[in-house]
Amino acid sequence: MSKTDFLSVVPLFILTSAAILILFSIAVKRDHKVIYVITTVSLAIDFIFLVWYKATATWVIEPLFIFDGFGTFNTGLILLTALAVTMISYAYFEQREERKEEYYILLILATLGAIVLVISKHFVSLFLGLEILSVSLYSMIAYLRKRARSDEAGIKYLILAAFSSAFLLFGMALVYTAVGTMEFSKIASHLSSLEAMPVIVFAGFGLMTVGIGFKLGVVPFHMWAADVYEGAPAPVTAFIATVSKGGMMALLVRFFTAIDGYQYHGLILIFTIIAIASMFIGNFLALRQGNVKRVLAYSSIAHLGYLLVAFLAGGTLGIEAVSFYLVAYFITSTGAFGILATLSDRDRDAELLDDYRGLFWTRPWTATMFTSMLLSLAGIPLTAGFIGKFYLVAAGVREHLWLLVVMLAVNSAIGLYYYIKIIATMMEKNEVERPASNELNPSVYVVSGVTMAILTILLIWIGVHPNGMMVLIHELLALD
Amino acid sequence: MQLAFYITSAIAVIATVMVITNHNLIHALLYLVVSFLAVAVVFYLLGAPFVAALEVIIYAGAIVVLIIFVIMMLNLKEEAVAQERQWLSRGIITGPALLSLVLLAELIYIIVGAQVAPSDAQIVDSKAVGMSLYGPYVIGVELSGILLMAGIVGAYHLGRQKKKIVHRFLEEEAS
Repeated sequence: MSKTDFLSVVPLFILTSAAILILFSIAVKRDHKVIYVITTVSLAIDFIFLVWYKATATWVIEPLFIFDGFGTFNTGLILLTALAVTMISYAYFEQREERKEEYYILLILATLGAIVLVISKHFVSLFLGLEILSVSLYSMIAYLRKRARSDEAGIKYLILAAFSSAFLLFGMALVYTAVGTMEFSKIASHLSSLEAMPVIVFAGFGLMTVGIGFKLGVVPFHMWAADVYEGAPAPVTAFIATVSKGGMMALLVRFFTAIDGYQYHGLILIFTIIAIASMFIGNFLALRQGNVKRVLAYSSIAHLGYLLVAFLAGGTLGIEAVSFYLVAYFITSTGAFGILATLSDRDRDAELLDDYRGLFWTRPWTATMFTSMLLSLAGIPLTAGFIGKFYLVAAGVREHLWLLVVMLAVNSAIGLYYYIKIIATMMEKNEVERPASNELNPSVYVVSGVTMAILTILLIWIGVHPNGMMVLIHELLALD
Repeated sequence: MQLAFYITSAIAVIATVMVITNHNLIHALLYLVVSFLAVAVVFYLLGAPFVAALEVIIYAGAIVVLIIFVIMMLNLKEEAVAQERQWLSRGIITGPALLSLVLLAELIYIIVGAQVAPSDAQIVDSKAVGMSLYGPYVIGVELSGILLMAGIVGAYHLGRQKKKIVHRFLEEEAS
């Protein structure tokens, strides 16, 4: 193993060491604060290392990993999101669970799985990364055992994720039978030597789409989303909505670009149908919900549909648009679920619309932050969500995907309704006084509050001044 | 050789269909064992004796035994004994036994006939598997270790909790 090999895998190494360090620390003494600090510090060090190391060229560790600009960008994004999730987890778990320490091990391992996913260039690393992510998520979703819904959500996710993994494996096996290799680039070169895609390879890609689509939570593989979002603890929901989906999206972009899927009309047709169905069904189902977690679940289905528009457009602009939209979407989702977590009390999460009634009058700052998150999800100007959506439309228009672009515009309008509905509920005067739910030392909430404030500022800053982020993405993607 | 492959595959398919359609868990498990054995023979025929051995040891051996343990431990009542006797009646074993006999006959035929693999396939022995696992794929092996760690930590957390009281009246009683 050469020096560059070693330096490239250091981000994975730091996370693994952190998980083991936490295990030892639990063995010595269970202390939530210590373990929280270890998690935060290791994620931060990992990110700092990534920025400091600043790979100047693409580096490949045969046969499993590729470290290029796209991978580095997504790794950094995942690390920062995991850091934000950790920040909001402390106050949340402090008041709910007696054994909160294992959660951080699982969080770190899930992050590791997502990072493996975004740097993989081989079916083996793809599958291992996906499974590390999924297995950690099973227990994270069902973590609060005392809640009625947590078991249901955990079991649902377990069974469906296992099923979708089986589909993915079977698809990989079919591709391997026909092509004889599991490396993305070799599959590509083998396929390009053929005139048309063999039926068996196409069937393999179709089966793989099931596995990938499940993780992305796109229609028709979206059934789990609402129940799991509702049953999981709020920070875990934030993690599923961002890191798990974003990791898979990055992998899909890498795989599709590698095999040059754009020349196969069948694949394009499948993904176009998935994109349009996700936008419409996600938005329509969200209209009918009275539960904020479920609204966000369905809206995330729609957002993944929007993302697929830029993904289908492809090319440099398409990938840049996907990256930018992921940044905007990560910030907004983490922020929205973070606020949901800070409003929750010991017994249940603040998920009903009634919990938000009159929030503007009781907690104006929280309500303002939540409003800006929702407006960004809706894609209102001056927020990151607007620039992201603009980017998507630009990518779509450039490739003349008129149908998809029109659908995106129509759905953004539909989506506005349910976001505005939540904001309107917050504006209403509340007659009934609700008791304050914060029972802990107020300093615990400072961390969550500061995280939320930073996310909000980032959101507006990227919305007003998107140049910095655009240049960063452009430079990283241009790396070769 | 071709014929042997098709017979084994047919046994695997039949046994798996029986696993899915059988309502009795123990019967389904018996067929599951046959299905695993058939898959092992298929691996052997394709020139992967090491994987065939692993299939028998891990799947037909360890995992099925584990499932049987769980099923038996879940029903520890008196009627369970009668039920067990009914489950293990002689007539039930005929199906799986017949299929296994066919597999055994095939295996003997292959070994005696000394036909190991089709001529166009290369044989992957345990050394080749080890070389590739601890050569290019060593990071994959390490990641599998991490995967197990995630599973164990999660199982520990979910398994150690006391039985939770679902109903609020029972909760008052208990406290």
